[in-house]
Order: sequence, then C-alpha cells, then structure tokens
Amino acid sequence: MITSAIGDSKALQAIQNTPVQPNGAEMLSASEGFEKILNGLGANAFEALRTGEATAIAAIEGKASTQQAVMATMEAEKSLQAALAIRDKVVSAFLEISRMQI
Amino acid sequence: MGDALISAMKTSASGLEAQSMRVRIISENLANAQSTGSTPGSDPFRRKTITFGEELDRMSGATLVDVKSVQTDQTPFGLEFDPGNPAANAAGYVKMPNVNLILEMADMREANRSYESNLQVVKQSREMISMTIDLLRGGN
Repeated sequence: MITSAIGDSKALQAIQNTPVQPNGAEMLSASEGFEKILNGLGANAFEALRTGEATAIAAIEGKASTQQAVMATMEAEKSLQAALAIRDKVVSAFLEISRMQI
Repeated sequence: MGDALISAMKTSASGLEAQSMRVRIISENLANAQSTGSTPGSDPFRRKTITFGEELDRMSGATLVDVKSVQTDQTPFGLEFDPGNPAANAAGYVKMPNVNLILEMADMREANRSYESNLQVVKQSREMISMTIDLLRGGN
C-alpha cells in the first residue's frame, strides 16, 4: 500500500511537472476518446455474444455441430473478457484523471 | 489478416469437424458390416472411404481442412457359404460387405488421436489468448 501510494504521488508529481496547458478542445477530444473506446468495446462484445448465443441455440435445435457451438461460445467469452478488462482499464484511467488536482 | 491465435483455433475447429465426419463414416461401415443384399446374387453394403483436402479461409488466409469426398471402397466382396440367405446365389454363396473390422478400429483410433491433438491446439491457443488479456488485469 505504502509503495503504491509513493508510486501514485510520484506519478502525480510527474503529471503536475509536465508543462502541458490543457485547453478546452483537448479536454473535449480526450473525453470523446474514452467514449469512443467504451462504445466500440460494447458493440464488439455484444456482437460476439449474440453470435455465440445464436449458435448455441442452433446446436440445441440440432442445426449446428457441438464444435461450432463451443467455438462460438468461447469466442463470445473471450471478447467479453477482453472488453471487460479494457473497460476496467479505461474507467480507472478516467478516474485517475478526475482525481487529479487542479 | 486477423489474430493468428484465432486463426489457429478456427483451423483446429475445422480439423475437429473433419475428424467427426470421419468417425461418422467409420460408424456407418461398422454398423453395416453384416448388411447383405436382399435378392439372389445382389451386392451387399460397400465400404465407404473418406478423403480430406485443404481449404483456404479467405478471411484469415489460414489453410483449413475439409472433407473432400466420401467414396466407396472398390475392393472385391468376400463370399460366404450360406444357402438359406435370401441373397445367396445359385451355388449358395452370399456376397459379404468388404468391411474389415480391424481396419475400421485402427481408423477410429487414429481419428480419436487426431481429434485429441486438434483439441489440444484449441486449449493452448485459448490459454495464450487469456494470458494476454490477463496482462490488462491486476496491477491496479
């Protein structure tokens, strides 16, 4: 905990020391970037989940093979996990910025 | 050109499908190992063979495997003396299917092994992908 706190304060100092003058346009593009990332993640994950679900149902009905159902489900799971991991990262980055002293 | 690991999984999946089809053909051969004709001198069940061929996946450029053709084995039928059988010819011999049980068993074992190795590829690729995603987790 202590070391992480030290690391955070050092990072904060580094950010405060950098001679960046954020203007309105840059702030806007940053928040747009976050939004874009989150939207893209959501769309991809939902698409994969929908495909996985449809294939699983087709397999239950006997229209698709077990292999296809398993592959589609695993694909969906992988996409979801990747999306969640990236979302966590993006949200924590956003929170980090919002906690920054002005 | 997408993710190579995903392509690997797709390729193994095509291998799984191909080997499943092979097992299906073997089961047909085994189930019909005693299927004779029903009229005098008629032909019995002819053993089926399966051949695989490569198939290009245009999305990823990977070379998948696909069932190329299911054909029939042209080796001659064996003759069995069974005068009471409706398929017996004038001399009392019945044509038996050209299915060799030992051969089918060996073939099934090979299909099983091949299926297993394809499954291992899926497992390993999946593990490598999740290991990479796990890089994003933790550390915060």
